[in-house]
Amino acid sequence: MYLIKKSDVLNIAKALSAAYQVYGPVVEKVSGQTFFEKVDDISEITLAAPIPAAPPKSVVFPQAERIMSYRYAGGNTPVEIKPDYAETPKALFGLRSCDLTGIQCLDRFFLGQEFVDDVYRHHRKKMFIVTNTCVVPFKYCFCVCTDSGPCADEGYDLNLTDIGDNFFVEAGSAQGEALCKKLNLENASEQHRSEKNACVDKSITLFEEFSTESKAWISRVMNRVTTGFAKEDVWEYVGDQCFECGACSFVCPSCSCFNIADASGGNGSCNRLRTWDSCSYEGYSRMAGGHNPRKPVEDRRNKRFFCKLSYSQSKKYLRPGCVGCGRCNWVCPGDIGLPNVVKYIRRETTSR
Amino acid sequence: MNGIKIVTIPEVATIEEIRDEIRDVKTFYLSLDNKEIDKNFKIKSGQFIMCTVFGAGEFAVSLPPSPENDRFHLTVRKVGSVTNALHELKPGGKLGIRGPFGNGFPFEEIKGKNIIYVAGGIGLIPLRSSIVHVLQHKKEFGRVLMLHGARTPDDLMYKDNLKEWQSFDGFETYITVDVAAPGWTGEVGFVHTLFDKANLPIENTVAFVCGPPVMFNTVIGELMKRGLSDDCIISTLERHMKCGVGKCQHCAIGRTLVCTDGPVYTYRQIKTLGEQI
Repeated sequence: MYLIKKSDVLNIAKALSAAYQVYGPVVEKVSGQTFFEKVDDISEITLAAPIPAAPPKSVVFPQAERIMSYRYAGGNTPVEIKPDYAETPKALFGLRSCDLTGIQCLDRFFLGQEFVDDVYRHHRKKMFIVTNTCVVPFKYCFCVCTDSGPCADEGYDLNLTDIGDNFFVEAGSAQGEALCKKLNLENASEQHRSEKNACVDKSITLFEEFSTESKAWISRVMNRVTTGFAKEDVWEYVGDQCFECGACSFVCPSCSCFNIADASGGNGSCNRLRTWDSCSYEGYSRMAGGHNPRKPVEDRRNKRFFCKLSYSQSKKYLRPGCVGCGRCNWVCPGDIGLPNVVKYIRRETTSR
Repeated sequence: MNGIKIVTIPEVATIEEIRDEIRDVKTFYLSLDNKEIDKNFKIKSGQFIMCTVFGAGEFAVSLPPSPENDRFHLTVRKVGSVTNALHELKPGGKLGIRGPFGNGFPFEEIKGKNIIYVAGGIGLIPLRSSIVHVLQHKKEFGRVLMLHGARTPDDLMYKDNLKEWQSFDGFETYITVDVAAPGWTGEVGFVHTLFDKANLPIENTVAFVCGPPVMFNTVIGELMKRGLSDDCIISTLERHMKCGVGKCQHCAIGRTLVCTDGPVYTYRQIKTLGEQI
């Protein structure tokens, strides 16, 4: 436990920038929105900025990336294949706990199953994570319902909590501890820890009503979805409301579906690209020849909520697939962000 | 049997020979360029690979060769942009291979049983490896039957194999076409119309069914009407796939992934998945 003066907190990011490419929350001047992006000038970071519009999962799982390139001139000529893994050491500074939970979900999914995803493993190989406790929740947040906030408990190297004039700094790993020592941070007392706990407790009371009232319902709805007791009507309604824009998947910290495409670069050279994909798209499961086993839109919507809310799927994340960031509610033009779907299932259940 | 698995970066293979099968379907005989890997590349019957056509893309394809004494090959119908590009290639051309992936057929569990193969059209491709395997170990099984139906006599798959199989001692083969052509002296009608003639065994029997969805549903309905239990009907599913190793999620059905939990399922499992075949 350490303390760092508020005015000095970016020194942590500066120190990290010596060995890592730093990523952090930056407020875009024109739109006023927060983006979690590559930062070369540390002073651009606004630690208190609202949660980023798009999740920082793009650092470990980019929207589009080249995973290999090859060249083949045709006929009986050799094929040159070059894998292309991103290995730059990265530091994530000022990550919110929901987004850290999202990365933990991705870790368990990409690294903890039968097959290890090499592309992801290289992204994750050398990384330093500094989380920032949300002392004030944002409008759509419901991490209190999904056990992923407002303060991270594990998985970080350093966790910062704004306790007034200072940040309370907790080290969660040996490399976190070493950095605190290196920066000669002042030791914190038990008094400071209680102050931090009070800040977290206060934050929990500040969540919007929709969030606090669905707290018990998330687990009940998970039960309904898993056992198939969620009514068909709800899925049909959800399907009717869906615009198939895919935005929910792209802003979700734990959505990990991807597409692979070989993009020709001319002269027989080609880049194999891996891009985000969404299960709400009609072409997602369509095979060559046109047969699509998953046709109706409610089938596809059902798939996404099944993925987030059923026990069988949470086995791969060792927790619910939803991290309570509220972004899907924020972006969905059809009002079927996850908290709303929970509400619809709940309404169906209680109106019987 | 534990050979290597090529997971992320494809290994280059050379096309040694190409055979025309039926309209739009060709067989490509391949060997991996890296001889060390080629030697240790062991497939299980019923598995699949991801095949890269350089410059066009990658697709999932079932493996027709038997794991034992069979040249490594793929049989592919041209149906989309990548398979069209594949059909343009000539012997000596290069392909990329990842795999083998998937669970494979449960031969240990079906030892001693009667085996029925029902294949519609190119549905014979994924069943071929299993047929060759069972014929090689014919003594370990009871009656072995194959019923193959195609649209026209020209659409019958693996004609050379069919001839060989028809003369294989103890292998009961029935072949039919939907529409006869001049000179066709065999059966005419959908494949399930042969069930009576074949005097299908039901007790202690496992059926492998593969074909287009319409045929699949009819055949399964008929088999179950005759008393075959849904966990004795085995099929292999096709899905759009990008990774083959359970990450891209394109092949998810219900709570399973066709690439890692399948592609071989019993009909009992398929029924609970909540999706079309």
